[in-house]
Amino acid sequence: MNRATLTLLSLLLICALSLVAAQQRARKLFIALEHAQIEERQLNQDWLRLEYEQRNLSKSARIRDVARNQLHMVPISPERTLYLKEAK
Amino acid sequence: MRPVGFSTTPNLVLRLPMWRSRLMLFLLFFVFMLLLIRAFWIQGPGNAFYEAKGVRGTQRELELPASRGKILDRNGQVIATSLEAKSVIAYNDTVPDDLAADKVRKLASLLQISEADLRKKLKEERKQIFLKRQVDPEIAQQIKQLEIPGIGLNNEYRRFYPEGEAMAHVVGFTNVEDRGQEGMELSREKDLAGHAGQRRVVVDRLGRVVQEVGIEQLPQNGKDLQLSVDSKIQYIAYNAVKSAVEDHHAKAGGAVVLDTQTGEILALANYPSYNPNDRRNLNGEQLRNRVLTDMFEPGSTIKPFTVSAALEKGVINPNTVLPIGSSYLVGKKPITDTHPNGSLSVAQIIQKSSNIGAAKIAMNYLSPEEMWDMYSAVGFGQAPKIGFPGAVTGTLHPYKKWVASDQARVAFGYGLSGSLFQVARAYTIFARDGELVPLTIDRSPDFKPGTRVISAKTAQEMRQMLETVTQPGGTAVKAQADGYRVGGKTGTAHKLVGKGYGNKYLAYFAGIAPISSPRISVAVMIDEPTGGSYYGGDVAAPVFSTIVSETLRTLNVLPDSSVKQATLADGGATDTPVASAKVQHVVSKK
Repeated sequence: MNRATLTLLSLLLICALSLVAAQQRARKLFIALEHAQIEERQLNQDWLRLEYEQRNLSKSARIRDVARNQLHMVPISPERTLYLKEAK
Repeated sequence: MRPVGFSTTPNLVLRLPMWRSRLMLFLLFFVFMLLLIRAFWIQGPGNAFYEAKGVRGTQRELELPASRGKILDRNGQVIATSLEAKSVIAYNDTVPDDLAADKVRKLASLLQISEADLRKKLKEERKQIFLKRQVDPEIAQQIKQLEIPGIGLNNEYRRFYPEGEAMAHVVGFTNVEDRGQEGMELSREKDLAGHAGQRRVVVDRLGRVVQEVGIEQLPQNGKDLQLSVDSKIQYIAYNAVKSAVEDHHAKAGGAVVLDTQTGEILALANYPSYNPNDRRNLNGEQLRNRVLTDMFEPGSTIKPFTVSAALEKGVINPNTVLPIGSSYLVGKKPITDTHPNGSLSVAQIIQKSSNIGAAKIAMNYLSPEEMWDMYSAVGFGQAPKIGFPGAVTGTLHPYKKWVASDQARVAFGYGLSGSLFQVARAYTIFARDGELVPLTIDRSPDFKPGTRVISAKTAQEMRQMLETVTQPGGTAVKAQADGYRVGGKTGTAHKLVGKGYGNKYLAYFAGIAPISSPRISVAVMIDEPTGGSYYGGDVAAPVFSTIVSETLRTLNVLPDSSVKQATLADGGATDTPVASAKVQHVVSKK
């Protein structure tokens, strides 16, 4: 009787302590998750920003300007084009 | 003597009345009962109040932000995107009154407002006040580093439009609350806008989130929207219209490019335009999407439909010759041509754009009902169903109300009205062997069946006639495009000023290309060209030519006209049809 009580008591104590530990771990993981989520959002934003920047650098108006004024290119004309057609 | 015990001395025996102890007992019992009832109340029915209080101390509701969908062009290029921005808020009861002068100065310069303005805002009675919205994240970071108590940053989104002016009328824009105000941003608001979610979290003593209780509402990001518009073609069209408006000192201009096979809108260009990224000092002229919202009398661009109706009826053929003369009296006012002609064949009436010819075809061979049916079948008098805000219906009066002079004038495009968009759409019947194509602004690159309006034979005959317009002897030699056979019709309409026609003109050109197997339908309008010619063939046709040759090249359409070979591998310039000589067949590597 006495031994059984002691066993149960120690079991109870172990359970209680592990509950505390588990809760602590859950909170830590949760904080890590939060951080990861914030980072995900941030990275998403960065991606959108880079996509926008890339788009800004590749927009028709800029390409036309760079091609004409910096690279001194001229528009293609059919007179100077050889058309290739895939044989079936 | 009776012995007297220590504790039983009769002197100590009090004969107190019974009721006093009873009262005492009752009072004690009563107070305990009160406590019990109170305890019961707190545990039971009154519990919610305390529970709420407890929750309020440890739990918070946080918003889960949702982003607005992107708008993409047909190739997946971004034409509108939302980037994070910050709004700067001052909590005026927290901002110290004795704030260091240099900090105020720095903050004012970061916010790009004057120091006096900033001080005034900080002294306002309101608890919190927006100092500035949609601040760039880098600037927001610098503001944060100033570490001024009571100055907070909030997350919000700002919309960016990389294509700027060229695409402004198609995409539209949003306001500071991220709600669509114009164009696609407005008409697709429902799909683009997201719904913010909410979640409940447990916070610790320092306000840090330690546990999530639950998500009450999942955030729903807005859907991305892919349009049929091609940003390259849009830019080509915008640029061509812009330079024509500037060259001819015109008031405005517009152009539409349609894919006749898929019914997709490839470009919708308007000039003057605006930069949707910076919308200060906007005026109505800039905001107007003329291509869809301006009604005008289509003038000579309607003649091919009059002729089609008669061809379809079988009463004339392209070679039927009609006497023209220098004027034709129907009603009170005589109808005249710019250049008088003796007699013209039906094909020449189109080629030379004879008003008298078109009127005679209408009066001699067609009933008002037949004409009305034709114009109505190609879309005049009906608003185009493309989900664009403000697209006009135009006017096509019921034929029963037409008198003879109305019928004659409608035949060459006066007395009815429509938008440039409707004209471009109507011309798809010539491109598609007689079918009118249903149009869409959403990307859907597969062939669409249309509604038959005229027979394939009539459409082919009309195509030949339209091509002669751009050939020597026609009204629009300048519409010829490099490498491609094109066909179309000029239009020069007197503008209605008040109740009559003034000396202001609209120059149009509407057409299809390449003629051998039409792929696009293009309509161009230049409003009030001044200084020099105002004819469609001189003002609008060159714009058509630029748009067609550059667009077809962008779409990888094989040239179908003979061109002079400038540089050949074996040298020498030869005049050879591209389709046979310059196209070499290569075997695919696959």
